[in-house]
Amino acid sequence: MVRTAEAPAASAPVEGRPSVLRRVWWSDHLAGWAFISPTVVLIGLFGLVPVVWAFVLSFQQNDLISPGKWVGLANYKKLLHDPLFANSVRNTIVYTAVFVPVSVIGALLVAAALNRRVRGITFYRLAVFIPVVTSTVATATMFSWLLDPDFGLVNAALSKVGIASQGFFRDPHEALMSIVLMTVWGWLGFGVIIYLAALQSVPADLLEAAAIDGCSRWRAFWRVEVPLLAPATLFLVIWLTINALQLFDEIFVTTKGGPVGATTVVVYYLYQQAFQYFNGGYASAIAYVLFLAILVVTVVQLTAGRRLSHAER
Amino acid sequence: MAHPALVPPVLVDPLPEYEDSVGPRRRRPSAWHLLLLPLSLVMLTPLAWMVVTAVSTVQESRQFPPRLPSSIQWSNFVAVWTTAPFGRWLINTAVVSAIVVASNLVFCSLAGYAFARLRFRGSGLAFMLLLATLMVPFQVVLIPTLLIVKSFGLIDHLGALIVPNLVTAFGVFMMRQFFLALPPELEEAGRMDGASRAGVFLKIVTPLMGPALATLAILTFLSIWNDFLWPLVAIQSPENMTMQLGLSTFQGSHLTDWPLLMAATLMSQLPVILLFLAGQRMFVRSIASSGIK
Amino acid sequence: MAPNPRRTIALAAGVVLALSVGACSSGGSSGPAQSGGVVQITFAHGYTDVEARAITAQVATWNATHPKIQVKLLFNGGNDGALQKTMAGLATGTYPDIAYEYGSSMAALAGHQQVVDLTNKVNNPSFNWNDFYPFERAAASVNNRVYGVPALVDNLALVYNKKLFDAAHLAYPTATWSWADFRSAAKALTNQSAKQYGWAYVADGSEDTTWRWLAMLWQAGGDLLSPDGKKSAFNSPAGLQATQLLHDMAVTDKSVYLDQGNGNYLNLFNSGKIAMMWTGPWDLSSINSNVNYGTQILPAANGIHSSIAGPDNWVLFNNGSAREQAAWTFLTWLTSAQTHSAFTLATGDLPTRASETRLGVYTTYLVKYPGDAVFVLNLGNVVKARPNTKTYPQVSQAIGSQMQGVLIGQTSPQAALSTAAQQADAALASGP
Repeated sequence: MVRTAEAPAASAPVEGRPSVLRRVWWSDHLAGWAFISPTVVLIGLFGLVPVVWAFVLSFQQNDLISPGKWVGLANYKKLLHDPLFANSVRNTIVYTAVFVPVSVIGALLVAAALNRRVRGITFYRLAVFIPVVTSTVATATMFSWLLDPDFGLVNAALSKVGIASQGFFRDPHEALMSIVLMTVWGWLGFGVIIYLAALQSVPADLLEAAAIDGCSRWRAFWRVEVPLLAPATLFLVIWLTINALQLFDEIFVTTKGGPVGATTVVVYYLYQQAFQYFNGGYASAIAYVLFLAILVVTVVQLTAGRRLSHAER
Repeated sequence: MAHPALVPPVLVDPLPEYEDSVGPRRRRPSAWHLLLLPLSLVMLTPLAWMVVTAVSTVQESRQFPPRLPSSIQWSNFVAVWTTAPFGRWLINTAVVSAIVVASNLVFCSLAGYAFARLRFRGSGLAFMLLLATLMVPFQVVLIPTLLIVKSFGLIDHLGALIVPNLVTAFGVFMMRQFFLALPPELEEAGRMDGASRAGVFLKIVTPLMGPALATLAILTFLSIWNDFLWPLVAIQSPENMTMQLGLSTFQGSHLTDWPLLMAATLMSQLPVILLFLAGQRMFVRSIASSGIK
Repeated sequence: MAPNPRRTIALAAGVVLALSVGACSSGGSSGPAQSGGVVQITFAHGYTDVEARAITAQVATWNATHPKIQVKLLFNGGNDGALQKTMAGLATGTYPDIAYEYGSSMAALAGHQQVVDLTNKVNNPSFNWNDFYPFERAAASVNNRVYGVPALVDNLALVYNKKLFDAAHLAYPTATWSWADFRSAAKALTNQSAKQYGWAYVADGSEDTTWRWLAMLWQAGGDLLSPDGKKSAFNSPAGLQATQLLHDMAVTDKSVYLDQGNGNYLNLFNSGKIAMMWTGPWDLSSINSNVNYGTQILPAANGIHSSIAGPDNWVLFNNGSAREQAAWTFLTWLTSAQTHSAFTLATGDLPTRASETRLGVYTTYLVKYPGDAVFVLNLGNVVKARPNTKTYPQVSQAIGSQMQGVLIGQTSPQAALSTAAQQADAALASGP
């Protein structure tokens, strides 16, 4: 269960009068359910029901159109021995392990830089946000041109500095990192906007106090502001992890899982199984293994986040 | 004691530079430009390419490495409106986005606040179930979701794009985190003064949620505006097409009119950019940051 | 009391399950869309640009002259997404009457109750089914039943930049070119310092990679699968010969530009950076007017100038007998020699019926699209077709992926063939 650290302070009355306690508890209860009812109904219907349905599908051999036949755990057993699946898991883990930290730290630093009243700050903020608006197709086309091994600008620039031509999307050892580069660039503005909003809640008097105490700006930033951004950081880490583990669009419009399977990630493999090979049941089984992994990772992150914020206090 | 919320929000200056806390502030260009300008140029490179392509002729766009056009073809921007029902796509997408954004602002705030601040039985489970819906790839739940939407008779209507998105788990999660970051003392003060839960929410908390609501609006709008796969399978008729679906009519599997597509894409991004510009003005410190005096 | 979330979910699940049973058993948006004796049919396609304008005009002509059958045009999101949309439509019972489908989708669509078996319809003498080229008819059939009518036909031929050949003092490709001629020309046309390449190959590991290699396999006299279709047959001397050529040109000679699947090879061709490409008629209209190009049939390994085609089909769906009948009437008209040759004149697409080449309009067509002459001739070189089985995509993926490895110099030709054959056999064994 997820409990919030602040809740006890907010709802406990000053003196322990039993009837007030019970009244507060009931009103919390009713208010709570009243507040979340529309959400629960809508997301339950359009979010949860399809998820359960697809779970049922994973126990069938099914091409998504005609009714399937029940095969029990056969799809899951097949997964254990599938070297292509193992490859996709490896790629997904490597991608996520690089993408998330780089994105979070990058967004934090850029947001801090954009959180000031310098002339033209609106232009800079817009510039950082534009890649988020740009469609995946346009971004992918741009990057495959920039990173073209023969004619791309990046290799041209590298050769001027004396570095050899890189293969980027064409090289099995560099393709995944090229995707990381492309997605970090594309998601930076998202993290920046989250942090920018969160930075507005940081009390200025705390920072003034730190400055008066002789703290440098840099130390004040890391010791005072960043811990206060913990809820935003937790959100970003969890959200980016969930998305990184489900990476698909960028692979689909650039490398299509290649070269030689170097960028085949779990959801791309799932897509091939469902929509190219027509193994709908197998695809669902893959989705559920992924789901379990994401669930475990998210719970770990939420728990760690809570522990850290408790430690702060 | 005056309620902090009744005092109008004051723009608090961002942190003074270290040097300035010692002496009077001098007017000089900030050193931050040295960092922000190169960063911005890097981020804007694809946009620059899109603009260059949009004002080129088709033949010029079919060359590599790309070259600057010999003359500017503004006609591409006009052609988008005359050769395709661009206006129709714009209206459809705007309607869907506006309704979805408004509904999310309301429902996600309510739910996010409840998960952040209220203690009630089942809240933990409900929150995890909500998050769980984010953990299954859309390709897998595509067809079940389509069947549910069909049972409501919404296939080939804009309602198919609106109803499933009236609340998003993403929005609820994000708002919960923002609420958690608010100092609880403000709400305690309100409760001391005898306000109900709803009153505290409306009178004290909501005015502080400017940046969060702006962020939610921008990101929700963006996700609806850029959505392709769901409209692809839920919409049949051309008159109900939304923006991304419409843009795909410029992109053939072999033949793509790149200048036309880029002109259309650029124009399609304007509403999101305008919303961002409006919303980012909220990214200034609010009364919460000045603490309780 | 507080609402129980589990109960709400269970209720919703029950409702949905009940509805799903209903949806699966209905057979689609049934019943004729009829009002006052007029039948409305829906017609989905992924055409853009010139082709879109041509089809729109043809449908408008039909609607004006056939008041009893009105056709509504729908856009399917682009042909690359067509199958996904079709499958979603079939699963939910909302699909058009006629849809454009890739040839590679036929195996997935065949046999479903919503897809109409056209065998009896096309065998009606007035339809003249044999007028379509043999490989087209094969590509529209699955297990000897016909499920589509050819909508588009193409093939791979050699397109070259005359100016680059002149600059290198080389004779243009001839109809008797061998692989050795092709390889040495590519090498002579490659210039590292000027970043010029003799040949371009699409190396994204997809069917685009595989089907070019298949043409080479057939030129070397090999076969993809065993006659019964249950085992792979390409790990053979012919297969090795084809793969070796790729290796020799891409890795040894370094005369091949490896396109990543984004179509950049065409832009480079337009900029004079690539001398030769193996491509289809669809690329001709994207060649800039300042590029002087020529076309020729593909080179041969042992005198066999095999090519490969990727025909696409119109598929008919079951929305009730009245609409099916109306849709078939319209489709017969659309795919008739008369109507289709008008379409080719407007778009530069190739004729699908052999009789189109005997119509008067064909001469005008050749004058307007001189590059197409070789492609039409080349239709006679397409002797073999890709198998229309559900497992072909996995075979294709295995080959495409390994050929990628060969092209970038990571895998040796024999190792690539062995791995691909192993993966293909596993896929063939698991499915129908």
